[in-house]
Amino acid sequence: MKKKLLSTILAVAMTMTALVGCGETKAPAASNDSAESTEASTEAAEVTETAEPVEDVEISFYTTETGKDQMFQDIIADFESKNPGIHVEYIAAGDDQLQQWMALYSSNEGPTVSLMDPINIWENQERMLEYTGMSFVDNIEPSALSTMTFDGKVYAVPQTAAGVGLLYNKAVCDAAVGGDFDPSSIKTRSDLEDLFKKIEATGVDATCFTGVNWSLGSHYLCQAYGAAIGTTEERVAYVNSIIAGETKEIDNDVFNGYMDTFDMMAKYNHNAADPLVGDVNIDAAALAAGECGTWFMGDWAWTFLGPIVTEGQEFGLLPIPHSDDPNDVLNQSIATSFAKGYCVDKSQNTEAQQAAGLKFVEYITSDSYAEEQMAKVCGQALPYKNATVEIESPLGLSTANYIANGKTYDFYGTPNLCPSDIWYECGAYMCEYLAGQTTREELAAKIDEYWSHQEAR
Amino acid sequence: MAKNFGKKIKNIGIFAGFGLPATIIWASVVLIPFIYGIWITFTDWNGLAIDINYVGVQNYLEVFTDSTFVTAFFKTVIYAFFTVIASNLVGFLLALAVTSGIKGQSFFRTGFFTPNIIGGIILGYIWNFIFSYALTTFGKSIGVEWMSTSWLTHPTRALIALIIVSSWQMSGYLMVIYIAGLTNVPKELLEAAYVDGASGFQVVRRVKLPLIKNSTAICIFLSISRTFMSFDMNLSLTAGGPYKSTELIAYKIYQTAFTSMEFGKGQAQAIVLFVIVAIISLLQVYFTRKGVDEQ
Repeated sequence: MKKKLLSTILAVAMTMTALVGCGETKAPAASNDSAESTEASTEAAEVTETAEPVEDVEISFYTTETGKDQMFQDIIADFESKNPGIHVEYIAAGDDQLQQWMALYSSNEGPTVSLMDPINIWENQERMLEYTGMSFVDNIEPSALSTMTFDGKVYAVPQTAAGVGLLYNKAVCDAAVGGDFDPSSIKTRSDLEDLFKKIEATGVDATCFTGVNWSLGSHYLCQAYGAAIGTTEERVAYVNSIIAGETKEIDNDVFNGYMDTFDMMAKYNHNAADPLVGDVNIDAAALAAGECGTWFMGDWAWTFLGPIVTEGQEFGLLPIPHSDDPNDVLNQSIATSFAKGYCVDKSQNTEAQQAAGLKFVEYITSDSYAEEQMAKVCGQALPYKNATVEIESPLGLSTANYIANGKTYDFYGTPNLCPSDIWYECGAYMCEYLAGQTTREELAAKIDEYWSHQEAR
Repeated sequence: MAKNFGKKIKNIGIFAGFGLPATIIWASVVLIPFIYGIWITFTDWNGLAIDINYVGVQNYLEVFTDSTFVTAFFKTVIYAFFTVIASNLVGFLLALAVTSGIKGQSFFRTGFFTPNIIGGIILGYIWNFIFSYALTTFGKSIGVEWMSTSWLTHPTRALIALIIVSSWQMSGYLMVIYIAGLTNVPKELLEAAYVDGASGFQVVRRVKLPLIKNSTAICIFLSISRTFMSFDMNLSLTAGGPYKSTELIAYKIYQTAFTSMEFGKGQAQAIVLFVIVAIISLLQVYFTRKGVDEQ
């Protein structure tokens, strides 16, 4: 009798613990209405940004920027203090950002506000709230909205302007040229190679590639579909002709130009002994310590460099030249991209949540405290008209300088020029090429093969 | 009659009390997603879209014409083949060692089992560090060339690294099962064999091995199904690299579904993989146990 009682109690206890787990996860989901009723309500009514949340509202914010959790949490705390009644749940970025976003939507917990790549927002636009005509959009620099506008409708606002290029350690370059290094003196591939030879002569490796798929695939390779091809329309036409099989990459001057520069840089690669052991922290440390003179990365690398540089060290960005033409402005321009944007979900969030989400987006793109935090931690230029905050990062300042001198071009031009998995598929081919395991013809053929499976842009 | 019926209800009640929580959890985490997944394979869903379109069996047809799927599958077969052999051999030898009555064998049993407790993800990151930095620094200092560059940046060596780490992790687990089998070998038989003048090796080969056929069947079944489905180690140790050369089939499916956003196609690949592994495993169990029955 006693044994039976004991075993019954144990069984009940186990069942209770299982149900408690279920109960906790139900709470946040209950704050999101079911998909059907939310869609019905958004079809029927318009959501205006002036709709005040009447009672306590819980929203969620998902970001795909790693290493900035503290910054976002500080910003959220400030937002909540200025907007009592709105509670923001912060969902941090993990390793696989797209997969996590998909999982959140599958479990009917689509985040209210998401900070995503434009291509992902474009792929998911049917779920997103359109911003066209809302007042906070007026605070965004118009040129920064190109990759966030789909068919004339604005679906997201950009976070920061990222500059992609060759980071340089000024002290190393000064020593190499025997004086004050002037970045605008590098106008062609040959100029760059001269600089590399001079750096090597001082006993330091000239440049560094971080042999990872996203850096080589998303950043380096995609330059070959950028402004060097022409206007946005010309870029789309070019990519579509590869998809249709009418053009081959290997026949394209722009592709070969960038690959010639790539080959040249690979000769002076700090990681040449084992190019694919890719770690941004280790390579950042190498640049900071002066073990290499330059590093192919972007101004977001300040997140890794900032904490380890010593007082007085100077850094900046150099463009990647694709030819030996000193009159080609592109050889002296930095590719900038508005790599991430804030979008608001309307498919799994109530009207009150959407309104609160819009308030959050407005706050994070115009509030002085938020702008201050982003300038400090991201160290990148902010594309907001009312941003007066000083950027401390020398990399961000360098990008801002190029922007001010008109020496930048929009990396993609459209939100969906390159598919969302190009970094994974073509990045692998670029890694193989960097490791010397394939020829340029094979690389070009594999990239053509990849494009042939994509839909026309 | 009524008494029997009442007893039956009571038995069901007791079973429900113990078995129902686990059954519910298993159903919601394994069974329902499985059925849902089969439904998804007949659609072209990309993982995010609100609307779903039906495409019939197109995803299944594409599975076999996709050369990257076939490549990844054969790579997994090679990986599974060597890992199953290595982990079973090491597991069996370790089990022999810790059932031979040496001093501190309980301590050794725990020690050898520990790698299995450390999750595949953490193990992968630790070994990633070892292969990328620790081993290379050591190799450079003693001047051995093949140890001076990371094993994980060469396709063949990266696959070997995967095999080594997986075998290391799994051998402890299999060792425990072999221990259970070996301790059930009747001592009288062993003593009789020794009395008849059999050497240690002959005892193992003629007496122990045949009598642990059940354990062997279980171990091989477990190691085959685990190695075919291996994902966490693949992700943290190589992430499919270098340049997708160690993309095993589970990782390939994951990338198809999530990174390339072809959820229906990825799910179809997963179902095909499930069927293949189920057939292999069941065949293997059948043939191994047939040996047992024949005795």
